[in-house]
Amino acid sequence: MTANNQSFWKKTAQGVKGFFTDLGKKIADWFRGVPTRWKKRFDSVKTLLSNANGKVMASCFVMGLGQLLYAQWIKGLIYLVVQVAFVLFFVFVGAKGIVGLFTLGTVEGNAWYGVEGDNSVIMLLLGILSVIALVLYIAVYIANIKDAYKIQCIVESFKQPPTFRRELGTLLDKNFYKVALALPILGVCVFCILPIIFMILIAFTNYGGKTVPPRLVDWVGLENFGKILTLSDFAPTFFKIFGWNILWAVLSTFINYFAGLGLALLLNRKCVKGKVFWRLFPILAYAVPGFITLIGFKFMFSYGGPINYYITKAGGNAVGFLDIDAKWPSRIIGLAVNAWLCIPSSMLLATGILSNMNTDLYEAARVDGASSWKQFTKITLPYVLFATMPVLISQFIGNFNNFGIFYFLRGGLYIDGYFLASDTDLLINWLYNMSIDNNYYSIGAAISIVIFVVTSVISLTVYVLSPSYKQEDTYQ
Amino acid sequence: MKRTIPAIAAHIALLVALICCVGLLGNTENTEGVSKFNGELEHNVTLRILENDTAVKQGYLGELLAAFNKQYASYGIKAVDANMDQYTDLANDGPFGYGPDVLYQANDALMKYVDNRHIMPLPTESIDCFDTVGEKSWQAYTRNVEGTDYVFGVPVNVQGPLLYYRKDMLPQNWQTDWDDDGDGICDIVQYWTDMYRYSKQLKQGNEVTADGAKKFGYMRSFLEPYFSVGYLYSYGGYTFGNNNTDPKDIGHSAGESYKGAWVVRQLASVMDERCIDDSVTVTAYSALASGEYFATVTTPDVYTLFVTEMKNRGYSDEYIEENLVTANLPLLPASGDLEDESKGWVESRMMGGIQGYAISSYTKAPNAALAFVNFATSYEMILRRNELLGIVPARTDVASAVGGLSAIINSNLGEGNIVVMPSISEVAQIWTPLQTFFQDLAKDPFRTDGYKYDTVNKIKQKLVEVDEQIYSAIFTLA
Amino acid sequence: MKKLVKHPKRLFGVALTYLLLLVVAFVFLFPILWLVLASFSKSGSLYSFKGFFPTEYSFDTFKKLFVDTEMYNYPRWFANTLFIAVMSSFLGTFLTILTAYCMSRFHFKSRKALMKTTLLLGMFPSFMTMTAVYLLCTQFNLVNQHWGLILIYSAGAPMGYLTQKGFFDTISISVDEAARIDGASNFQIFIKITLPLAKPMIVYTLLSSFVWPWSDFILPKLLLKNKDLYTVAVGLMSLDNTEFSRFAAGSVFIAIPIVIFYFALSKFLIGGLSAGAVKQ
Repeated sequence: MTANNQSFWKKTAQGVKGFFTDLGKKIADWFRGVPTRWKKRFDSVKTLLSNANGKVMASCFVMGLGQLLYAQWIKGLIYLVVQVAFVLFFVFVGAKGIVGLFTLGTVEGNAWYGVEGDNSVIMLLLGILSVIALVLYIAVYIANIKDAYKIQCIVESFKQPPTFRRELGTLLDKNFYKVALALPILGVCVFCILPIIFMILIAFTNYGGKTVPPRLVDWVGLENFGKILTLSDFAPTFFKIFGWNILWAVLSTFINYFAGLGLALLLNRKCVKGKVFWRLFPILAYAVPGFITLIGFKFMFSYGGPINYYITKAGGNAVGFLDIDAKWPSRIIGLAVNAWLCIPSSMLLATGILSNMNTDLYEAARVDGASSWKQFTKITLPYVLFATMPVLISQFIGNFNNFGIFYFLRGGLYIDGYFLASDTDLLINWLYNMSIDNNYYSIGAAISIVIFVVTSVISLTVYVLSPSYKQEDTYQ
Repeated sequence: MKRTIPAIAAHIALLVALICCVGLLGNTENTEGVSKFNGELEHNVTLRILENDTAVKQGYLGELLAAFNKQYASYGIKAVDANMDQYTDLANDGPFGYGPDVLYQANDALMKYVDNRHIMPLPTESIDCFDTVGEKSWQAYTRNVEGTDYVFGVPVNVQGPLLYYRKDMLPQNWQTDWDDDGDGICDIVQYWTDMYRYSKQLKQGNEVTADGAKKFGYMRSFLEPYFSVGYLYSYGGYTFGNNNTDPKDIGHSAGESYKGAWVVRQLASVMDERCIDDSVTVTAYSALASGEYFATVTTPDVYTLFVTEMKNRGYSDEYIEENLVTANLPLLPASGDLEDESKGWVESRMMGGIQGYAISSYTKAPNAALAFVNFATSYEMILRRNELLGIVPARTDVASAVGGLSAIINSNLGEGNIVVMPSISEVAQIWTPLQTFFQDLAKDPFRTDGYKYDTVNKIKQKLVEVDEQIYSAIFTLA
Repeated sequence: MKKLVKHPKRLFGVALTYLLLLVVAFVFLFPILWLVLASFSKSGSLYSFKGFFPTEYSFDTFKKLFVDTEMYNYPRWFANTLFIAVMSSFLGTFLTILTAYCMSRFHFKSRKALMKTTLLLGMFPSFMTMTAVYLLCTQFNLVNQHWGLILIYSAGAPMGYLTQKGFFDTISISVDEAARIDGASNFQIFIKITLPLAKPMIVYTLLSSFVWPWSDFILPKLLLKNKDLYTVAVGLMSLDNTEFSRFAAGSVFIAIPIVIFYFALSKFLIGGLSAGAVKQ
């Protein structure tokens, strides 16, 4: 046992060491490659700029002009329309937005007298939107010049440039991914990335407390981060909560994942009759919205709840499952309730994955006389792990940022030794206490950046190390 | 290359030129401030009124709107239910045009909006009920902004805790054994010491209700600071200094407030563990009806809930009226010990609130909105509100006309035994620390592995810590 | 029967399996059963219970839920939720499958960077960005609009593409290549070959992107101000705490569409096992 343990630790240590030396090498290589890469890029730009003919220059001046001169009517017109649209956008919204990003407003509103004033946060938001539009514009502009130059090269080598119809054709084949990804990426940019950028920028302002619109918000640089660093209560609470948060995320991910997988396998057994019926029970748990279940569980474990009713009825003392002294009971109940909530969906996922598995492997294994445990560890587990590793990581992240569980089960407590937090709170609950409950948006944003940096390093490392990232095509 | 770069530069120049031209045109103008209340009613407008759920459910809002719309039909003014969540945050909705025109909320919620001018200062000379509402009520809605005192809302009703008890559950022999002061009223509902003694007796006894549930005396969850902090107030504690306006001075540990905390701990010991979390709060209605609890403390507006529960149990209206009694809170012993009556008595102080109407700064029809507020706070409407909802009117003329509870609570407010919740936004930070403290304290008598608060010094020290915690919640990050 | 007797070990295995299934069924059913019982409780209050069982039963709550709509318009909320959830489920699934397919099959230049970025984006605490989402919606006039919610739900759905990508990674690429030799374009391969193979995954995606808007509370609370526009989740949370049986009845009823959904689609979800051999 000890020998085994030792070799395990040794292996782990070696793995970690190997990872860091690898990482170091990679980073060094990347930096070594920088000059060459830039030179290459610079050279190609130089060739383009010096070889460009008049028609390409026309495209440099107004988008699509060169293409029109080459009689590429539809493409030229599209570029031209894009140019006009962008100009209109910048004239009416974009320019103001970019200026607003720097000033964050100059006129304070006063609703009592109907003075409209500037809304700093809206200006910040529109500013970010405008910068994104500007970046997009530059990208289209460069693509437009490159395209004109490409046509020039083709014409100069006495060939026919591709027709518009043929270019459209590649969009369904070779460039299919560009068309397919355009819409999802646009959506994610507007509703996920833009708000995140907004939040990051908020960390550098004084938005929060009483400084909210109509009051004018201002840039304060790194002041918020300075505040966090100098706050003596911050670090001890942070590390205490962080430790529990990691433990929670690891445990709950592990429990939910393997219990879900186990359940899926159990239901997949040949001897189980009426699979649809048995599977219905976890689905029921899945079908009731999580917050309702959480409220229900909180009541069940409360002093007036059914569990304590039976305990006192049997002559025992009521148990405070979730009360102020119940640090570990609450934590364990949290894990169990979370498992109850998450196992159904992880079972569904595992079922979906298993259904796509090649059964030939099992036949072969059975012929070889492998035990069912061996079949599980050698065939099923690697397969499922491979297919779900990225999901596992996103589940880890989901659990790490699981706000609802302790908010509903044990909210509204500040425990001694914690700064505005309780001993079951996760970082996200703490963040909520500080930023939303207490209105300190900018401090909250700064803290979430700190938390984000720490957690993202961890999960990204795991992800990059995982086999499904390294060898995506194992099963293809 | 020589010609390409100028082409790109020309492109940029073209863009910048276009933007600058339009940018110069688009400067916004500044308007100078004038009060929006000019006394001229806006015509043909719709007012969106936010009321609380009870008023909607019991049909009061419907009556109010119908009456108002009838009277103002000639102006084309129409008031409608805003149909929004009763706790909706005007700061979120108002500036973007989604908020109501007139809101009915509690003073802490409404006065929070003043910080950023989301609600309007009201011209006191145009408020019809100005003279009939007590000074303490107006205080909750007054704020000094840049050197001038403004009134931001019109008080409608006063919320303050009352004692609810079952007269038919008093001990049989109370006239001989439980009426030492000989005033013909049972001492149990007059003195906390007797309430404590009676509750202890019931707890130790084996009496059960018809359903087989064990009987208890006084039951009240301590989790909600709104109901618990009053014990600290009764012995000299306070929330914010300078009449609840100075957040730098936090005084839950001031005076002899530890005595109040000790009373809480003693009361908890004669209940059971359900007083630690909020289990008792919602049980109270049915538990009082079933005879499981003898008494509890809660606000006057839930009277109908008790009545409904008792009706469900088959009691007649007359029986309920006779036996479900609401009364002023009992007196506390000056000694701070429920087992020691020797040092005389102090009055129970409790936290209360004042609900009222305010007008959103984003309304398009401020004068019509003011007309609505005046209409809704008229003598007749407030009287009707009291009839339908059982609220305690802030209008003293209605209160004295109705008498009973309303008179008691109004006089409590006048004498300072109801301490109105602070109207400053910092009040948001007191709840969690206090809630944690009271939970901890109520749990103490039930601890099996050593008490945390069994001496006065331990309680004193903890109260100081609570104040420090609130202070740091308010100021550390600001 | 004879067969089983011959293999006592197998008999034991079967018994154990069923025992486990019973335990699992009990664990998952029990809290739900309690909710169902509560919905039939005569008294509205949560605490007039004897342990797990209400003191008196009646059907009144369900009647009240659908008839007494003056204050709490449950049927309306239900219809709203159904509309939002169905629309976002379809749109979201479409976008997610598309994203996952591209990320699995096209090895373009910025792919790995894109994958890492999406992973990182999930790490930001979502409620911190809610302020921005709300402000954005006020600017695009999406507040008090069901379409606003649908847009946000479906736009956010592709962020969870990793599950589907993992699935596509396990589908053999040889079929694609065969089709390509026959002259099919990537678009045709996607429509005619990959999609039919991915049926279980599509069903899973449909279900999971249906459940999210179905049970979400935060976004609709933020964006829907008008009570008539509420979803069931927001509506239930706005109930008085003395209305517990109505709350329970509403919660039980909200589970029904998902159960129906499950029965209708379980064939696709589970049927894959036997079809496995065809895929290779």
